[in-house]
Amino acid sequence: MVLTKFVEVGRVVKINYGPQEGRLATIVEILNDKRVLIDGPTTGVQRQVIPIRRLTLTKFNLKGATRGARTGVITKAIKKSDPFAQYAQTLAAKKVAKKALRAKLNDFDRFRVMILRKRRSALLSTQLKTLKKSTGGKAQTQAKGGNKKK
Amino acid sequence: MPGKKRTVRIGNWYKSDDEKVHFVRKRKVPRPSKLRKIVPGQVLILLAGRFQGKRVVFLKQLKSGLLLVTGPFKLNGVPLKRVNSAYVIPTSTKVDVNGVNAGQVDDEYFKRTQAQRRKNEQGFWAKRGELTAEQQAAEKTRLEGKRKTQKSIDDALIAAVKKTPLMKQYLGARFSIGKTTRPHDLVF
Repeated sequence: MVLTKFVEVGRVVKINYGPQEGRLATIVEILNDKRVLIDGPTTGVQRQVIPIRRLTLTKFNLKGATRGARTGVITKAIKKSDPFAQYAQTLAAKKVAKKALRAKLNDFDRFRVMILRKRRSALLSTQLKTLKKSTGGKAQTQAKGGNKKK
Repeated sequence: MPGKKRTVRIGNWYKSDDEKVHFVRKRKVPRPSKLRKIVPGQVLILLAGRFQGKRVVFLKQLKSGLLLVTGPFKLNGVPLKRVNSAYVIPTSTKVDVNGVNAGQVDDEYFKRTQAQRRKNEQGFWAKRGELTAEQQAAEKTRLEGKRKTQKSIDDALIAAVKKTPLMKQYLGARFSIGKTTRPHDLVF
């Protein structure tokens, strides 16, 4: 297996543990085999030394980050090409966002989600039925659903 | 002598020495409970009683401290009702109650009449439970009046409820907890 994610200057990381849990930052300097200096001016992460153990490496890199770059330089580099926005498009990030949204739902929202899921499932089953009929029993379960769901 | 008047009732309780009165309630009427951020029009979940789990609309707080709520009756079968705020979960959902006038409903509205209290008398007192013709007529008009109040309040409410999609079904459904729900994590 080829290793693709390296601990390097510019690597976008996600903090897994501590008060900043869940936030993204960039590696700015590598101190030793266990600690790095990270900075995340646009994501609310203060420039700090953090053990690598507390990080997850993402596949994105911040272009233009040089070793030991100051926060201002990092901010400029982010303005040019924002890897954090790219990360937000990944499936993992979307799952986290979905979970956070679901936690915020109030009682009425939860009720609406339940009703919409039922409607969607009803739509799916009618589609499946028609597909089954048209292909004479050998249906592909790829019926397209309708409703937008949280 | 300490200034406390001693009345001795012959044959009854004789007070020995000056008894300390530990607690004297200064208020004759208990203070109505402070409403925790519940606003008229807010949807509440009833937690106890016959209608437990039902979602109802809060109208106002009565003088006794109890909350006046209504289903509305047509949507979930809950009539105009008094409810203790301790047995209620307030949700963040609100219905517009600007057109609703619950001014004439107060604690007196819910007071049982003599005819009601004597309705189920049995045995020796059964005669008291039987209503005269005029009492029956009075009961009838009383109930009619109640139905009218319920209807007037509910009609205005239902008109407001219909404006939000799925709100009608929401009020008709009961709240329940399943195996995997974590009530302490739920946002209401």
